[in-house]
Amino acid sequence: MADSKDVTLKIDDRDVTVPPGTLVIEAARRMGIEVPSFCYYPGLSLQAACRMCLVEVERAPKLQTACTLVAMPGMVVRTNTEQVHQARKAMLEFLLANHPLDCPVCDKGGECELQDMAFTYGADKSRFAEEKRHRPERKWSEAVYYDAPRCILCFRCVRVCDEGMDVKALGVGQRGSQSVIIPNGEDHLDCEECGMCIDICPVGALTSGTYRYKTRPWEMKYVSTVCAHCSNGCKTTLSVRNNEILRANNRDLSGFNKEFLCVKGRFGFDFTSHPERLKLPLVRRNGHLEPASWEDAIAEASRRLAEVHKASGADSIGFIGSNRTTNEENYLLGRIARASIGTNNLDHHRTADYPSLIAALGEKAAAATVTMTQLYEADAVLLIGDDPTQQNPLVAWQIRAAIRHRGSRLYVINAKSIKLRRKAREFVEVSQGGEAAAVSWLSGSDETLDPGVAESLSALKSALEKENNVVVVFGAELTGAAVRDLVKFGASLPGQTRYMALGDYANSRGASDMGLLPHLLPGYAPLADVKAREKFGKVWGAKLTNKPGLDARGMLAAATSGKLRALYVVGANPVKTFGVNANERLGKLDLLIVHDLFLTETAKLADIVLPAAAAYEKDGSVTNTAGEVQLVRKGGDVMGTRSDFDILRIFSHQLAEHGLGQAIRLRTPEAAFDEIRQSVAGYDLSMAALLLGEAERTSPISTAGGQAKFDAPVGAIFSAHDTLFASGSLGRYCTTILSLPEAGPKTTPEAGAHS
Amino acid sequence: MNLPPQLEAKFQTLENRYPVKRSALIPMLLYAQDQLGYVSDDMIGEIARRLGLNTLQVTETMAYYSMLRRQRAGKYHVQVCTNVSCMLRGGNNLYEFVQKKLEIGHKQTTADGVFSLEEVECLGACTGAPAMQVNYDFYENLTTERATQIFEALEAGRKPGTSAPISGSVKPRHPAEVPVISRLFGVKDSHKLDVYVAHDGYKGMERALKELTPDQVIEEVKKSNLRGRGGAGFPTGMKWSFVPKESAKPKYILCNADESEPGTCKDRPLMEMMPHQLIEGIVIAGRAVGSHQGYIYIRGEYRYVLDIMDGAIAEAYKAGYLGRNILGSGFDFDLVTHTGAGAYECGEESALMESLEGKRGYPRIRPPFPAVVGLYGSPTVINNVETLSSAPEILRRGGEWYAGIGSPKNGGTRLFCISGHVNKPGIYELPMGFSLRQMIEDVAGGMLNGKKLKAVIPGGSSCPLLTADEIDVAMDYDSVAKAGSMLGSGGLVVIDEDTCMVDLARRIMHFYAHESCGWCIPCREGTGWLRKMLDRFHAGGARAEDIPMVSELAKNMLGKTFCPLGDAAAMPIISIAKKWRHEFEQHLSGKCPYKPADVLAAVR
Repeated sequence: MADSKDVTLKIDDRDVTVPPGTLVIEAARRMGIEVPSFCYYPGLSLQAACRMCLVEVERAPKLQTACTLVAMPGMVVRTNTEQVHQARKAMLEFLLANHPLDCPVCDKGGECELQDMAFTYGADKSRFAEEKRHRPERKWSEAVYYDAPRCILCFRCVRVCDEGMDVKALGVGQRGSQSVIIPNGEDHLDCEECGMCIDICPVGALTSGTYRYKTRPWEMKYVSTVCAHCSNGCKTTLSVRNNEILRANNRDLSGFNKEFLCVKGRFGFDFTSHPERLKLPLVRRNGHLEPASWEDAIAEASRRLAEVHKASGADSIGFIGSNRTTNEENYLLGRIARASIGTNNLDHHRTADYPSLIAALGEKAAAATVTMTQLYEADAVLLIGDDPTQQNPLVAWQIRAAIRHRGSRLYVINAKSIKLRRKAREFVEVSQGGEAAAVSWLSGSDETLDPGVAESLSALKSALEKENNVVVVFGAELTGAAVRDLVKFGASLPGQTRYMALGDYANSRGASDMGLLPHLLPGYAPLADVKAREKFGKVWGAKLTNKPGLDARGMLAAATSGKLRALYVVGANPVKTFGVNANERLGKLDLLIVHDLFLTETAKLADIVLPAAAAYEKDGSVTNTAGEVQLVRKGGDVMGTRSDFDILRIFSHQLAEHGLGQAIRLRTPEAAFDEIRQSVAGYDLSMAALLLGEAERTSPISTAGGQAKFDAPVGAIFSAHDTLFASGSLGRYCTTILSLPEAGPKTTPEAGAHS
Repeated sequence: MNLPPQLEAKFQTLENRYPVKRSALIPMLLYAQDQLGYVSDDMIGEIARRLGLNTLQVTETMAYYSMLRRQRAGKYHVQVCTNVSCMLRGGNNLYEFVQKKLEIGHKQTTADGVFSLEEVECLGACTGAPAMQVNYDFYENLTTERATQIFEALEAGRKPGTSAPISGSVKPRHPAEVPVISRLFGVKDSHKLDVYVAHDGYKGMERALKELTPDQVIEEVKKSNLRGRGGAGFPTGMKWSFVPKESAKPKYILCNADESEPGTCKDRPLMEMMPHQLIEGIVIAGRAVGSHQGYIYIRGEYRYVLDIMDGAIAEAYKAGYLGRNILGSGFDFDLVTHTGAGAYECGEESALMESLEGKRGYPRIRPPFPAVVGLYGSPTVINNVETLSSAPEILRRGGEWYAGIGSPKNGGTRLFCISGHVNKPGIYELPMGFSLRQMIEDVAGGMLNGKKLKAVIPGGSSCPLLTADEIDVAMDYDSVAKAGSMLGSGGLVVIDEDTCMVDLARRIMHFYAHESCGWCIPCREGTGWLRKMLDRFHAGGARAEDIPMVSELAKNMLGKTFCPLGDAAAMPIISIAKKWRHEFEQHLSGKCPYKPADVLAAVR
């Protein structure tokens, strides 16, 4: 809608009205007029270096760069004159003079901005008769290669690394026509290896170590899906040839992450083709896991589970789900546990206390939580615990962007001097694990703190009291009572206060929302809620028990004591995650069934192992840590595997044949999501938006009217503290990431992190 | 890292000199290099640590400046200038001679580590051409004998006497000269405070501080018709009036002493012989705009000038001409010098500010202009040395008096540096609007060796050239502009009939290609392309289609580059290709028809 301050100008004889401060290049683009540019990149500082966007402006003696020209009322701009065409042609001639024109062997060929510009605006022949400048190609890391002759020196890479990433690993060496991009380690990169420089490069100067010389862009199909790693939910576009994923990037700027991807999003797809990938079901025979057919493996699994159920009862069976599988898969697993088997022994590795936040916010839960985009729009961010740069890279990116573009303020409470401290207005360093005490103090309790900490907290508090709009972002350091303290403190601030809890993995939030919890049904409905039990019971064709189940640690302990006889694990590695002595504890089970991509510590102990499809090999939906639901799309395909959705669905049919529950008739993830939309509170989302690739935020409402306490037992919620180069058990199979020196000492699949 | 005590002290001074620490980067690197002969990796780490930078920020900044090096140079680093003024007076012969003498080439070091050699761009000794620098010492008016003596002395561990204080600038006055800002040139100890004060020094400042309001100071300068002497000729009083009266941030006076336009060597003697005049001018500017801090950015090669300037500043502080409550007026002003490290582009005002902030000398996007957002994002007046040096006499004797000396709208005098093929090259202070013909034929003693005049560069190598038929022009901004060129920086280069204009164009393009900062495409690629093309063309590879292409490529740069350097490179080439097209055609035979007289031999 037009604002009175808006500016009307004329571009190519047409009027356009834009907000004050709009650049002419943006105003033109808004009208569908393409003004070519290389160095201009929205969100990065202006350069006016490539001179491609020169336009005629009435009453200006010289051509002007549209990328630096601010639209003024009455301005008359022409982008389509002979003089402008000639200037563009001249700039391209200059650019191509020393360019190697090795398009036939250049990775960028077919998706190169220089190629496109030369095609559209360039001359049809080359007049350059001199010797071209040459420099050898450099390998800066396993991930990043630099080919100087192709470089047009638009400095996008330098800016994104400095301004966007706050890493400053790229600079400019030499001067003039000898200018060249240089890495911080003289001949190599020492950085976060995000690869932003590769994607933002308009030409083939910066290329990806994992993709180079593999294929041509037009030989691949492109599948836009959600990154399989952390909980932020970045869109990543898979480039797939013959069912094999060859590349991941976000050049199409899809998703709220726009151009952002971290090292995991960009290079962490190669676990899909790792040689240790399971491709056949395994069944333990005479103490050894031996290949079996899918038919036999599932038949045996269901038969034996039914036997345990018959012999020892429903509560002798437990289910541990995944924080990476889709919402539909999690929903199905919960249904099998609760409806087919009849137990609430159901859990997953919880990495953030979403239930406590939702409970504490009560009816305000939807309005008082923020999306990734709203995080960027916040005037102030209070970050408590976590290290977003390492654990939640998009959150860190959004915070940096908010500071850079909008002048937002960052306040940090942390036990460590995390990298974001550099951008913080106030930094309160608490003792290890002291975040909860600090929050308690802020909420007005009589907590005794170190006087220094109290003093800086006090300064932080008065600064926050002056803010109109605060987003509080917190990690797993705050759970239960601490989350309630936090919300109490937030309510005491004069401005608007909203929240974001940070979890670890791609569907940590979805696992929680779908009720992979011993005490909560999908949509955070307490077991005690009769209506909720009846609702799900009706949908699932069973009478649900209100008997509280065991959590993951409880199940593992019960396995030791012999109370638990069977454990069904989907996409999780509890042996590693919960640090149990595998031989002693799980060995006593009558039956251990595991779905996984790899033979993890847990899978090794299983009686039946079912080879699952990875997140990049199936359809469905996931929910990021901010509660934003997005669809995942099948990119690659590994023969022999099946999606957890299919496995669980088929399993339910077999269980039904054994008299356990009803067969799941939902044939596709779409059908399951339809049921979720109808039955899970907060998930009644616009299908159209989701299908268009957009993110839709859930609106969770605590059914207990804000009075509930969904506290988990001490130690049930913890972060794996994965770095940029780790991703739980999955990270141990990301070969490219592990090959980077920044990833630290080489880890084998035996070592490594959790989950 | 343990530093020698002197360097440690220097570092500490520099670290505390600027409102932003990084500003100390380039001086620190250069002073460290002076001590060690190069900048070691350890030193890079040390400086990065001290300034809170990462090493890449240090190395990429270093890489921009041609004086800074990461490899050890010889004990004596010999830098021979071959830019136009020197070239016309035998600079190439000299360079060849030195190469043979030292048995090393460009950027090489002798096996014993005593000498290293570099062919360099304009050293600012144009009227004393051919010239070279050994470390920071200038040697001018060189002949092969003189060069031989110098190397022998150095090898024997003696310090050879440098040439006269300033070659060409201390010479008998020509009667047509009107000494105002050069009035103490040749006076003994003219750089000293008492000498300057004895010659009406600091009187203009006293008037500005005690008798006039800031607006009246600006008014006086406006009346004087003083126009920027850096080359653009913008009215100085008007520039000062653009600075906002009220500013939450401090305001700065920035003196551009990065003199490096080929053919120009006036700021060097002005600072060397009359440093107090510059200090006085800067304080006056400070008074006019309400600034209390000044910086003089001096090109790195002028180290001895910087030392003289520092000495004068110390004297001025001691005598109360700088610092708190100057002359009891209640006005405070602080002033420091700052060294560059070899980059022509840093003479461009916004690139200079970047450089002073410790970064690569890339120009900035304008608007905003420096008067509003300049150094450290603060309102800044940036003026050339000669401009600021003119202020004291304007304030002492009045704007009208000054305006009366020059031509309409072109107040006062200016220092014309006349170099090249004339009998008496030198720096002459003449009224604005003085006849160009008279300058060549009379003031500078006419053409060398009785040769015929072919061409004149009227104001530094960035200007379109004038032919022998075009020299009946009054040397002020407007008249030269009307004649199709620019008054520029006052560096006149006189070129005789034996000079190959293709070769001259080639040498000019070498300079701009070397000095292009690389920021924008047309300048970075255009200068490099034209350099290669003109090299080939002159060396026998001329093709007919090259001739129109030379001016076409230059025109493709003209008006399209980020900063004026692209225009500066294009304009002389366009004029040469147009006015001396026949010389290009002569080269199509594959041979250069010109064999310039060996000036060096003639002088010998």
